[in-house]
Formats: sequence, structure tokens, C-alpha cells
Amino acid sequence: MTAMPPTAPMTPTTSMTALSALMALTAFRIAAYIRSHRIYQALLPIFALLAISYATRAPAGQEAPALTDSAVLVIPFLAWSARSLLDTEPDTQRILSATSVGTRSREVLSGLLAAFAVNLLFAAITLFWGLFLGLTAFPTASVLWAGVALHVLAALTGTTLGALTSRAILPSPAISIMALVLGFLAMLVLSRTALYWLTVPLTAWMKAAGTGTLVTQVPWLGALSLAWLFAGLTLYTWLRRTRP
Amino acid sequence: MRLSNVSFAYRRRAPAVLRDVDADLAPGDVIEVVGANGAGKSTLLRLLAGITRPTHGTVTDRPRVVGFAPDRFPVDQPFTVTQYLTHISRIRGNPAWRPWATRLGLDDLLDVRLAELSKGSAHKVGLVQALMPDPGLLILDEPFAGLDADTRAQLPAIITAARTRGAIVILSDHQGGLDDLPSVRHWSLHGGHLKESAPSATSEPSGPPTKVVHVTVPATEVDAFLTRMRQAGYEAQEAEEGQP
Repeated sequence: MTAMPPTAPMTPTTSMTALSALMALTAFRIAAYIRSHRIYQALLPIFALLAISYATRAPAGQEAPALTDSAVLVIPFLAWSARSLLDTEPDTQRILSATSVGTRSREVLSGLLAAFAVNLLFAAITLFWGLFLGLTAFPTASVLWAGVALHVLAALTGTTLGALTSRAILPSPAISIMALVLGFLAMLVLSRTALYWLTVPLTAWMKAAGTGTLVTQVPWLGALSLAWLFAGLTLYTWLRRTRP
Repeated sequence: MRLSNVSFAYRRRAPAVLRDVDADLAPGDVIEVVGANGAGKSTLLRLLAGITRPTHGTVTDRPRVVGFAPDRFPVDQPFTVTQYLTHISRIRGNPAWRPWATRLGLDDLLDVRLAELSKGSAHKVGLVQALMPDPGLLILDEPFAGLDADTRAQLPAIITAARTRGAIVILSDHQGGLDDLPSVRHWSLHGGHLKESAPSATSEPSGPPTKVVHVTVPATEVDAFLTRMRQAGYEAQEAEEGQP
């Protein structure tokens, strides 16, 4: 087999920068997600989850476990959101978007950016709901920052899982949904074991919060999580090479 | 632009759709690709556009700006014509799209949702998004299919203008829409192999003058009618739905 050739990029016209083309395509995809009303299919279950999770306010001293639990539990909904956003665009439009934005890699990146932006919004809603409606006492600054970090990681985890189960990768809706749910459960189960470092260590986040060591463990657990998320996003980008 | 030993298969062990395709394309070339259904025309067009990577071989020196009009425009998107084309224009660097919409007869449909467009009108939206950036490589998949007579008459002039400014124009066509255009290169695909026949040197027919006659026959008699006409020495083909 010959090596894959470098091909000339299909760059946008005139003096437009690649960045503004990327941002315009990202905005196009978010607009499609909102205008199609698919966004509510993820937002409403998140509200239901938060209403149940924070039905009673967490007692003082339990701020870290409460925020961590909600950051973990919202991940499948964020994955659903990312998958739904990426699947809003018809397959042929994805091809047109690639020619419009100049390269396929920019089209892939714009989809991830759009999904991550929406997930950041949902993660922020989750965090603020917890802070103002779910806790008896406001957390300390260090716990607050750990909570912010975990919610950003949750948004990124949801984006990655959603991208890997989107239609471009898994055309069958049934297999896609099963992969999304089982992927989340696999992360939960594996990270309960001594092999927690083999995945995004979701259960390890919760264990650290429960034992009062979240603040000290966040750098290590965050770095480990980022490493796996980077691997997941790299896999998605690699798979998309042959799945336009 | 050059294709060198380009082959493509959809899966690793699947038979190749295209085999060892070699071709040179120069600025100003207009190329008509013909072949039976499933011969690989759309695959070849996507390879040329840079949307699909060849399994083997290289595509080099592709023009910077590519316009691609699909054979079926994806209407399942939550936008009106104006909203959609405005988004695409932003991605493309804000080239003017309204003159193209006017030229192709879309002015009365600008506020109509994409999902409510007829097949021909949706096809026009696909053409406008491809034409708006004045691409250096213009790829049109079955551009004449489903278009009304006025728009069909516009396309050869649009293609000639693109050629005049140095663009490469490649299209697949079953409609004979370029019969009056001079110096069109003809590629035919058969069994995955690309063959080029001599270009038409002039728009003047080599034999006696001809005219196109439209005849309406009962649907059940179409095949027999076409057979009789061909046996009598005439070129005869069934018109697409919506085409005069």
C-alpha cells in the first residue's frame, strides 16, 4: 500500500483566516443543533437528573462529594448531547462543510468544538445548580476549583464519548446507543478497580471526594483523565480519516 | 492537478471501485464523467474534491478553493434558504451568494425552509453554495438533474465563465447538458478503469443540424419507444422527472 499522499488543502476564499472559517462552521453546527430543537433532548434530562440529585441539599462538609457525583452522573447526558449535535448534520452536509471550511480536519475539529461548547454550557448549569440549589454551605475555594475542574473534564469526557459513538463512526443507531451506555458503565466499573488508570477514572474521582482527598488528587486524576481523553479524541480523528 | 495511480476501495478487502486512475487536469478544463450506475462516478468526484482519500496513489496540486454540488442536496436541515446560504457564505469568507440565487431562480424561495423545497429547488441551493466562492475546482454531481429548463440553459454559460477564469470544472452527467459546449473532455468509467475519449473540438455538429424533440408517451411504452427510436438511428433517452 502506498503512503497516504499530502493533498492540497481546500482553503476558504479571499483573505479569510482558517480560524474564522472554523468558528463560522462551529456556529453553523450549534445553530443547527438549537434550531432543530435536539438540544432539548439533552437539556431536559439533565434538569431531571439535577432535580433528583439535589432533591435534598447536601449537608455541610459534603460539598466535594455532592459536586463530584453530579459531575460524573451528567457525563452520559453530555455524551448524548455531543452525539446528537454531531448527528444533526446530514452526512452529505458534512461533506459540503468540509469543502466549505477548506479541509476535512477543520470540519472534524469544528464538530468537536461545537459539541464541547454546548457541553461546557450544560456542565456550567450542572455546577451552578449544585452550588446554589444543592448545597447547604458554599464550598471552600480549593473545593470549588476542584469542582470546576471536574465539570470541565466531564464536558470533555461527554464530548469524547459522544463523538466516538456518533453516526460517522457507528452508523447503526442501536449499536451507537449501546456503545455510549456501555462505554460510560465500563469507565465506572474499571475505575473502581486497581486498574483505574486504564480509563478516565470516574469512580476514582468520587472515591477521592468521599475520602476528603479530592483537592490533593485532582492534579493526578485530572492529568490521567486528560491523557485518556486526548487518546479518545485522537482515535476519533483517526477514524474520521476514512469516514467522511 | 494530477491523479497518479489512484485506486479506491470502500473496505480493506472489498473490490476496488477505482483502479489505477491516472489523469492530468489543467486550468480551464471542462470534464464530463460518464458511466453506468455504480461505476464509481460519485466516488471519483469525491476523490477529486479531497473529501475521500484514495486507498492507493496520489492526488496533487488541487486548486485551493473547491466547490462541490452533490447530486442530492441534503434538505433535512433546520434552516431557510437564506439562513443556510448566509451561514455557508460566512464559512467561505463572505462571498456574495444572492447574485447566484437570482441567476438560478431562487429569489422567490429565499424564506422557504430547506425541507419544504422541491427536488429541483433544493438542487439549486446546492449549486449556489458550490458556485459562490468562485472555486478553482468546481465539481458538479449530476448538475442538470431535476432542473427546470431556464436553469438548465444557464448552466453551460456558468461553466463557460468558470472555465474562462481558469477554473477546472468536472461534472457527471446523464442528461447531455454539455452537448453544445466546445472542447469538453470526456471521461468514462467502466470496471473501475478511467478512459478518456477525444474532446469535442467545437460546438458545431459534424453531421447535419439536429434538434431536440420532446415526446410524451405512456409510461408503459417508454422502453419500447426508446428501442424503436434507437433502431431507427436516433439518439433517444428517457427524461428525468421534472425535466421537459
